Amino acid sequence: MTLLTRQRQLAGYWFILPCLTVTTLFFIVPLFMTVWMSFNHWPLLGHPEFSGFSNYVDLLQDSSFWASLWFTVKYTLVVTPAIFILAFALALLVHRGVRFVGFFRTAFFLPVVIGMTAASLLWTWMFNDQVGIFSAILMDLHLIDEPVQWLAETNSALGSIVVMVLWKAAGFTMVILLVGMQAIPQDLYEAANLDGAGRWQQIRYITIPMMRRTFALALIMSVIGSFLAFEQFYVMTRGGPFNSTITVVHWIYRASFTYFKLGYGAAMSVVLLLILLALSVLQMYLLREDHD
Amino acid sequence: MTNSVHIALEAPVLPVDAVPSGKVLRHRLVNTAYYTVCTVLALMFLFPIAWSCLTALEPASEAMASPPHYWPSRFSLENFINLAQYSQGIGHYLWNSASIALMTVSATAVLSTLGGYGFSRFRFPGRDLIFMLILSTLMIPFQSILNPLFILLRAMHLQDTKVGLALVYTTFQLPFSVFMMRNAFDAVPREIEEAAVLDGCRPLTMLRLVMLPLVGPGLVTVCLFAFFGSWNELLAALILISDARQFTLPVMLLNAQSGQLGAVNWGLMQAGITLSILPCAALFLLLQRYYIHGLVAGAVK
Amino acid sequence: MKISAFVKRLAGVVGASALVVSSSAHAEEISFWVRAADQAFVEPMVKAWNDKHATKVALTVIPSDDFVTKFGTAVAGGAAPDVVAIDLIFVPAFAQAGQLSDLSAEVKALPYAKELSPSHMRLGAYNGKQYSVPFSAESSILLYNKQLFKRAGLNPDAPPKTMAEIQAAAKKITALGGGVKGFYFSGACGGCNIFTLTPYVWASGGDVLSADGKKETLDNPALRNTLTMYRQMWTDGLIPGGAKTDNGSNFINPFFTGKIGMMGSGAFSIGLLKKEHPEIDFGVTPLPGAKGGSASFAGGDSIAIPATSKNKKAAWEFITWCLSSDVQIDQFAKGGSIPVRADFANNTYAKQDARVGIVSAAMQSGRTPYSPYFNQLFNDPNGPWLAMIQEAVFGKGVDPAIKDAQGRFKQILGN
Repeated sequence: MTLLTRQRQLAGYWFILPCLTVTTLFFIVPLFMTVWMSFNHWPLLGHPEFSGFSNYVDLLQDSSFWASLWFTVKYTLVVTPAIFILAFALALLVHRGVRFVGFFRTAFFLPVVIGMTAASLLWTWMFNDQVGIFSAILMDLHLIDEPVQWLAETNSALGSIVVMVLWKAAGFTMVILLVGMQAIPQDLYEAANLDGAGRWQQIRYITIPMMRRTFALALIMSVIGSFLAFEQFYVMTRGGPFNSTITVVHWIYRASFTYFKLGYGAAMSVVLLLILLALSVLQMYLLREDHD
Repeated sequence: MTNSVHIALEAPVLPVDAVPSGKVLRHRLVNTAYYTVCTVLALMFLFPIAWSCLTALEPASEAMASPPHYWPSRFSLENFINLAQYSQGIGHYLWNSASIALMTVSATAVLSTLGGYGFSRFRFPGRDLIFMLILSTLMIPFQSILNPLFILLRAMHLQDTKVGLALVYTTFQLPFSVFMMRNAFDAVPREIEEAAVLDGCRPLTMLRLVMLPLVGPGLVTVCLFAFFGSWNELLAALILISDARQFTLPVMLLNAQSGQLGAVNWGLMQAGITLSILPCAALFLLLQRYYIHGLVAGAVK
Repeated sequence: MKISAFVKRLAGVVGASALVVSSSAHAEEISFWVRAADQAFVEPMVKAWNDKHATKVALTVIPSDDFVTKFGTAVAGGAAPDVVAIDLIFVPAFAQAGQLSDLSAEVKALPYAKELSPSHMRLGAYNGKQYSVPFSAESSILLYNKQLFKRAGLNPDAPPKTMAEIQAAAKKITALGGGVKGFYFSGACGGCNIFTLTPYVWASGGDVLSADGKKETLDNPALRNTLTMYRQMWTDGLIPGGAKTDNGSNFINPFFTGKIGMMGSGAFSIGLLKKEHPEIDFGVTPLPGAKGGSASFAGGDSIAIPATSKNKKAAWEFITWCLSSDVQIDQFAKGGSIPVRADFANNTYAKQDARVGIVSAAMQSGRTPYSPYFNQLFNDPNGPWLAMIQEAVFGKGVDPAIKDAQGRFKQILGN
C-alpha cells in the first residue's frame, strides 16, 4: 500500500467521522439504551432498577396497550387505501403536462409541507361545532339542524382525522405515483391508441400493471407513516372519546411521561420497533421481488 | 440520479389531449370537464390554508364568532397583535423555532456534505458497512428512542437547550441527507477531481472549491428537508424541552389551543398557524424543484 | 463537564445574537409555574408583585391537563421552576419522589402557621416534613341560575337538597326551551369531575378510594346512583351536547350564557361571575347526597419550591407574600375566593356576600382524597376515572363502566 493511498484512506475516515459520531451518539447508543431500559423499572423521578422481563410481562397484560395497537392498525387500514385511491386519481389527473397542470400539482401537494401539528390545529378548528366552518356550511344548507360534534364519537372522530390526513398526505403519494406513471414508456400508450383502446382500458391494462412496484412502495410508505401517527390524534382528539383514539406512539409517550414509567415506555418502543422493522423487511422484499 | 427532473411540479404547456380530427366538440367537453374537476379539487386543497389566513386577518371578535362569518367586515391585524403579546410573545417562540431550524440545517449540511464526499470518493476498509449502518437507521422510527434521548441529553446537560434539540433533529436527518449527498457526489464526473488532484489540491480544499458548486442542488434539497423536519416537529420538542422559555412554535400553539377557563382564542390560533405555515409554503413554492427531487430520491432509495 | 460548559457558551452566543433577548439574563428573577385554571387570578397577582419588587417573577402558564407531565419532565431534566403552584392533590407524588424542598423550618417560623388550611397542610406533609404551603383554596358547590329557577316556577331561595331534587329541577328548567338546559358538567375532564361529582358520592355515604388511598372502592351504590343520575339527565336531554367533549376548557363558560340551570363548580365562580357577568343572578348551595346531607371537595393549589431551585431565598420571600393579606385578602378575597388562612376568613369581602360564607363552610368541612397516583387515576385525560364517567354517562352504561374502572384502578394502585 502506498503512502498516498493510506493518506486517502485516512482522509476518508476523517470525512465520515463527524456524521458517524453524531449518528452513534444520538441514534445507535439510544437504540441500545432503549433495549436496556426496557429491562428496568426506570421511573422518571428516582433511580432505575433491573427488573428482567417484568415490563414485557406487564405489557402482555396491559389491555390499553393492545387496544392502542389495534386502533393504530385500524387507522392504518382505513387511511392507507383512502390515501392511495385519492392519490392515484389525482396522479391520473395531473400526469400529463397540460396547461395549468403545474398549478394543480402544486395545489394538491402544498399541504404536505405544512407541519402535522399546524394542520391538526387548523382542522380541529374547522371541525369545531361552534366556530367551525363545516358545521356552519351544513347548517346554512339546512342539511343539519344542530352543529355536529365531529370529534365526539369514535367513528366520526376517526373519519374526520382521515379526511384531514387525506388532505395532508395525498399529495405525497401522488408524487410517488407520478414518478412511476412517467416511467412507463410512452410508446405503449401509442400502440394501444392505434389498437383503439380507450382511456380506461389503457389505465386498466397498461398503467396499473406497469406500476406494481410503485404501488408497493407507495403503500408501504403510507403504512409506515400511519403506524407512527401521533400528532393528529394527540392534537385533535387527545385520545378521546373513551380513550378510543390513542395510537401506539401516543401510548408510549403517556406511559413514559404521564405515568413516569420510562422503562415500560421503552418496552413498548421495542415492540413498535420490531413491528416497523418487519414492515421495512416486507418493503424490501416486495420491491426486490419485482426486479425479477 | 433519478428521473425526477421532469417531475417538478411546474410542467411544460401542452394541450390536454391530442385532438383526433373531427371530434372538436367532444374534445371541448372533455377539456371543460377536466378543468372543472381539477379547479374544484385544487380549491378544496387550498381552502383550509386560505380560510385560516383570512380568519387570522379578521378582527378578533369576528374570528371568535359562532357561527363563523364567511367574510370579514374589515381586515385587521388585531389577532397578530394579540399573538405578539401571548405568554412570552410570539417573537420569542418564532426565534426558538427559527434558531433550532437554522442550527439543524447548518449542521445537517456540513455533516452530510463531509460524509457524502467521504463515502463517495474515498475507499477505506468498512466503508460500505458504515454507510449501511447510517442508512439502516432510516428503518428505525425515531419515536422509539426518545426515552433514552431524554436521559442522554440530561446526562450531557443539553436538556432544555436549543442546541440539544437541534443535534437530535440533525441526527434524524442524517441518514437521508448522507444518502442524498453521496448520490450527488457520485454524479460528479471523476475527471474534474483528477485534474484538481494533479494540481496538488488537498481534499478539503477540493471539496470546498471544486466539488461544492457541483453538488449545490443536492445540498439545497438536504437543507430544505432539514428545515421542514425541524420547524414542524412536535413529539421530540414536547419531550426534550420543558423550559417554557425554550418552547418551539408547534408546542406553543398546542398550549394556546388548550385554552384557559375562558374559551380558546381562535383568531390568535389562526394567526399562529398562519405564521407557522408561511415559511414552509414560501420555501416550497420557491424551491419546489429541489424538494420534489429529494422526495423522489428518498422514496426510491 | 467541559463539553457542557462549551455547549452552554455556544448556546449563550447563539442566544445573545437573538433579536428577542431573553429576560432570563436577569439574576434576580424567579420562575413561577401555575396551571391554566389559575391564570385568571394569578396574572394580576404576579403583576402586583412585579410592580412593587426588584426581584421579578416570570410566570408560566401550563395547560391544566399537562401539568404533571410537564412539571415531572422538567424536574427530571433539572429544568424545574423556582416556585410552583400545584394542585394540592399532586403534592404527595412529588414530595415522595424527593423533588420538593423541605420547608419545615420556614413554616414553623411563620406566626400564622396554625391558621393555614388543614387540607393543604396534610397533603403537603410527608414523613414528618412539610413540603408545601397553601396557595389558593377552592371548594366545590352547586352553582345555580336564580333567574331560570324563577322562570321555571322553582323557588330561587330554596335550591335542591337532594339529588332527586336536582334532577327534577333540571327537567323543569330544560322545559323552558330556547336552548336552556337544566344541568352542565365538563364530560371530558377528569379533574373537573373529581371536584364536582365525587361530593354527591361522599354525601350519599360512598367513596372512590379507601381512607388511606391504597384501595379502590368504586363498586358502591352511592357512585352507581350518582352516575345513573348523570346518565339519565344526559339521555333526557337535560345537558347540552357540548358537555361530552368539554375537556375542562369550558368548565364554567356555558353558565355565562345564562342558559344553564345548575352545575357543579367552585368558589372561584362567585368572583368571576360578579365581575364578568353581573347580569346573571346566581346562587350557590352545597352539593347534596341522595337523601340529603352535603359534601365538598376541599381543593385548590399548594405552593412549593422544587428541590433544584437556585433562588430558594427569593422564592420563599415570594411565597410568604402570597400568604399575606396583600394577596389573600386584597387579591383573592376581593376577587371572590376564599383565603387559605383561617384568621382571614372573616374579611370585609366575605361579609358583603352571603354566598362566600357557603363556600367557606364547604371548604372547612370539605374532603380531599390522598394518593400518590392521583394524576394517573383521576386527572389524566386518558385515565380510568374519566373513561368510567364517559362510558357511564355517554356510553355503554353505568355497571360495565364501573367494572372496567375498578380493574384499571386496581392495576394502577397495585404498582
